[in-house]
Amino acid sequence: MGDLTMLDFTAYALQVLLIIMAIAIVVHKNNGTIIILITTFSLITASLYVINRAPDVAIAEVAIGSAIIPLIYVISISRQREFIVLDKAMDDFIISDNTFTGRGYILLKRFTDYYHLELNLCNDVRLCSLGSGKDQKLCEDTNVDLIVSHDEERGVYVLKGKASSILMNKLEQMAKDYDDIEVIKFKDRDFGD
Amino acid sequence: MILKSSSSRIVISVIKHIVLIGMLGFLFYVFFGAYENLEALYNTFGKDYFSRYAEAETGSKNLVTSILLDYRLFDSLFEAGILLIAVSGVIWISRHEIEEKNAQFMIDKFKTPDLFVTFSRLVYPLMLAFGFYVIINGHLSPGGGFQGGAIVATAILILYYIDAEKDTNINLIVTVEKYIYIAILLLATASYFTRGAFFTNVFPLESSADAKSIYLVVLNVLIGFKVALGLWAIFTAFLKEGR
Repeated sequence: MGDLTMLDFTAYALQVLLIIMAIAIVVHKNNGTIIILITTFSLITASLYVINRAPDVAIAEVAIGSAIIPLIYVISISRQREFIVLDKAMDDFIISDNTFTGRGYILLKRFTDYYHLELNLCNDVRLCSLGSGKDQKLCEDTNVDLIVSHDEERGVYVLKGKASSILMNKLEQMAKDYDDIEVIKFKDRDFGD
Repeated sequence: MILKSSSSRIVISVIKHIVLIGMLGFLFYVFFGAYENLEALYNTFGKDYFSRYAEAETGSKNLVTSILLDYRLFDSLFEAGILLIAVSGVIWISRHEIEEKNAQFMIDKFKTPDLFVTFSRLVYPLMLAFGFYVIINGHLSPGGGFQGGAIVATAILILYYIDAEKDTNINLIVTVEKYIYIAILLLATASYFTRGAFFTNVFPLESSADAKSIYLVVLNVLIGFKVALGLWAIFTAFLKEGR
């Protein structure tokens, strides 16, 4: 390679690798892979900083870019993959004979499988004991995506969720076949109210 | 005005693209021009000055620390302030009015693998010790308050993987961070009474390098704790958001 020193050659190789990594981050579709690629990207950047005699910046890059940012991404993505349903009805709509075979469960399972989400059911006593007037606040303030409740007077099961979630339109469409299931979408309040 | 016909939409998108490419071309031209003129601007005055006088003037062997904590302390204070504002922003976005938001799950699929937990227990004290080492030796070796604080924060984050049900008072963290920021500001201002100038070393210019390094260590420790608390607050907000 002429009069290139080993260090120069390493620097050029790392820079080429950096471009490949950047393209790979854009091209890849799997979230887990992308996190690992971002980590690799910042490790390569840190090596380049060391080669260019900036060890202070390299330490900051390693600590932030390949430890804190990937961990925060992992946390956020593992939360995004869940669809959390609060079961206020507490009857055989979701659980019948102590197994998940209720009609509601089958509908929700079909819906979450469509979007490759994990269905996570909860029936927290503290959250369930809040009145139905607080449903909208509950959806906005907690991680609950959908609230299932039973309307005794009309004999219908009501599914409530945020209107801003695109998923709700699909759920509404899927629930059309059932006569006794009603989907309600909350209107969004403006950000910062 | 709403344009519905497809032809006008295409025209608008073409115009948008042309404007975008034009802007990128202009940016490229400006950068290229700056690169061309770099030779004329280049001089070694700053480099020579810092390598000759910085250690005697600030007591720091690490020139980066001497610039961050002495010559350009005013900039560093605002940098620390920006982190504080970012933390406040994250907490403001994720604030909640319902008191206890963590729902108990009937089927909880999230469980940390045992291997990861064991490895975290092994690595946690080492990470913490390395973080404190980087903070305290900020004036002698590469590193300093920000870098060490980030490492300490990562160690604390590892702690959450060991014990997922750990409860943290996020408001207390941010309050302590604010007080530490005020302490940093006061320490930075104290030089006005000893040297007659704001935002520089507290000890007089003619005192020894060892005496001056006391100030650097104290400021580094304060900044390190502030950064660690700030990052801790940020990912506590992230963790609470989901669970």
